[in-house]
Amino acid sequence: MSNQTGEKEYILSVLARNNPGVLLRISGLFSRRCYNILSIVAAQTENAEYSRILIVVLGDDRIVRQVDKQLSKLEDVEDVSVLDRDRAVVREHLLMKVERTLQNSEKLVEIANVFHANILNVEPDSMILELTGDAASINSFIELYNPYHVVKILRTGTMAMMK
Amino acid sequence: MLLTGAQIVMECLLEQGVDTVFGYPGGAVLNIYDALYEYRDKIRHIRTAHEQGAAHAADGYARSSGKTGVCIATSGPGATNLVTGIATAYMDSVPMVAITGNVSSDLLGLDSFQEVDITGITMPVTKHNFLVKDVENLADTIRRAFRIANTGRKGPVLVDIPKDLTAKRCEYTRSEPLALPKTALPKPERLEQALEMIRKSERPFLYAGGGVVASGANDALKDFAERIDAPVSCSLMCQGGYDQTDARYIGMLGMHGTNTSALAIKNCDLLIAVGTRFSDRVLCNAGLFAQHCPILQIDIDAAEFNKNIDVDLRLHGDAKEVLTCLNEQLTPVRHSEWMGMIQGWKALYPLEQKAPSDEAVTPKELMETLDRLTGSEAIIATEVGQHQMWAAQFYRFRHPRQFISSGGLGTMGFGLGAALGAQVANPDKRVVNIAGDGSFHMNCNELSTAAQYRIPVIELVVNNTVLGMVRQWQKLFYESRFSQTDLDRATDYEMLARAFGVKALTIRTKSDIEPVLKQALALNEPVLINCYIDPDLNVLPMVPAGGCVEKPILEM
Repeated sequence: MSNQTGEKEYILSVLARNNPGVLLRISGLFSRRCYNILSIVAAQTENAEYSRILIVVLGDDRIVRQVDKQLSKLEDVEDVSVLDRDRAVVREHLLMKVERTLQNSEKLVEIANVFHANILNVEPDSMILELTGDAASINSFIELYNPYHVVKILRTGTMAMMK
Repeated sequence: MLLTGAQIVMECLLEQGVDTVFGYPGGAVLNIYDALYEYRDKIRHIRTAHEQGAAHAADGYARSSGKTGVCIATSGPGATNLVTGIATAYMDSVPMVAITGNVSSDLLGLDSFQEVDITGITMPVTKHNFLVKDVENLADTIRRAFRIANTGRKGPVLVDIPKDLTAKRCEYTRSEPLALPKTALPKPERLEQALEMIRKSERPFLYAGGGVVASGANDALKDFAERIDAPVSCSLMCQGGYDQTDARYIGMLGMHGTNTSALAIKNCDLLIAVGTRFSDRVLCNAGLFAQHCPILQIDIDAAEFNKNIDVDLRLHGDAKEVLTCLNEQLTPVRHSEWMGMIQGWKALYPLEQKAPSDEAVTPKELMETLDRLTGSEAIIATEVGQHQMWAAQFYRFRHPRQFISSGGLGTMGFGLGAALGAQVANPDKRVVNIAGDGSFHMNCNELSTAAQYRIPVIELVVNNTVLGMVRQWQKLFYESRFSQTDLDRATDYEMLARAFGVKALTIRTKSDIEPVLKQALALNEPVLINCYIDPDLNVLPMVPAGGCVEKPILEM
């Protein structure tokens, strides 16, 4: 997870009041303070008054502590936690459209089966696949389909929950 | 009782003890202004020449009184004109509530006439903001706005109210403001560590910032300085937070700090920073700042620790409470050798200014004469530039809330509006706005406000006919290529002042200083003084951006 500059990926879980503009307040903070967001996932929680926002940040410990403290100052933010990957379930969701021909059709299905991926739709010249997993298995999955011409990829970004 | 939204706004302001607001009317705030007419015996409204002036006036009102400043503007351009004022307050942590009207709810989002997304625009420069969508929530939103503005590290909050809501009726019940939540004291083991660091130190250096003024920690700071026997330096935001006539005071630290402060930071064995965020104007170069000594930082905002510079120990809490707590545990000590060194440097490196000719006015003499004639008791507002630094260097501020200046944002055009606000909040004090001729031109329209409401501020224009601070940088770093900084303006300052209904006086030579200042101070009405100085005077000492704070340029 580290790159050459010593930066790492951190997962932040933010609980925020579900007020209008709350996502803009949070993402705006990242852009104006020059923090790098790799992915962001936001949705209402079990309590409709709150949203849970999972943000993957690229940085070092110092930057993440700053992000944590700056986020905590936002009026709508109730709680910020930096998730420990070793103690969390980390998943991502992928939808991928792949070009299909008479020749490769069987191969496409075979790869999907290996990954226990779902085939959501099949057209004469394409098919849509669905996979949930950690970032590494999703990356491998995409890699295996690359030779068959991937038309479109949609990834949710990281979701994580402490065990 | 059943009230309109506009009346609810008035009632909520009264709940908060607001008796003065600054603003400018317009279409979307017609109902609010109608209510202001109804409540005119209870709430005084000062209409400025421009909404920016209203925001700065609310800011100056807040800085000089410690109360929350309130400004009101209409939708669209009215609201955007407040933005510089809101950003100024945000950077300097000034409690302010800005109330803007917006187009009616059914017109929101349709690019309607004078519509702007002001909550979107001000998100980065407010502590929080609200777009009220239901009149039922209006009262609680305004109450929350005041609460947020004053809780923890203070700052501005904006409330945007669509026009239809100000006409809608709703049941209102008065509610007294709740006590503000207190910031907890640092953990006992942290305090113990701090006490140990302080007791071990033989050459402590106390550096105070705007947090001291915001928390009213000035007495605790003085007590602390005496107990630990340390020299005291104040940031621009803390001018007056420590009595500058006291022997411990050694001037500012940083880009235009004194050489004594530079030597003190080089030689100290502990830096204690209270209520300061280590701005780049103080650090100059974070990598070269106080490398050899531990830093103990006290601040109310946890996000200010290890932001601009890594510190060795952080005490999170309100400056006054933390200092009081430390004082209780500290037996007074003496560091005679260290304080002797400090006094030696002070004697060796006083702030000086060479006059270009025998008759020429130096800002030093101008400020020192003003200081003497006002008994160091005036409220001094400033614009931004050389004159601002000279005011901070040569006027001896003795009390908190005496120096009103845009430190963080560096807003030219801030001072006159802020001075009006400060004078309205402090009718019994002398208020002087020290301006440069560049800054003066930005918002000189507010002279009309001073004249109309007979707000007796002294507008002292330190006129060098150039944009002196930028020009000074051009001199140092751009081989004197004075790009756009020689103003060559034809403005007749005295005639301009009179056109606005303001008296005007002129200082041309050294011998004019005292009689003209005396004359202005004797008047109880707004007056402009046009004071000519040499364009080539510099603010010194100076540490270039990126330079080492310990090595200021002393002459150029």
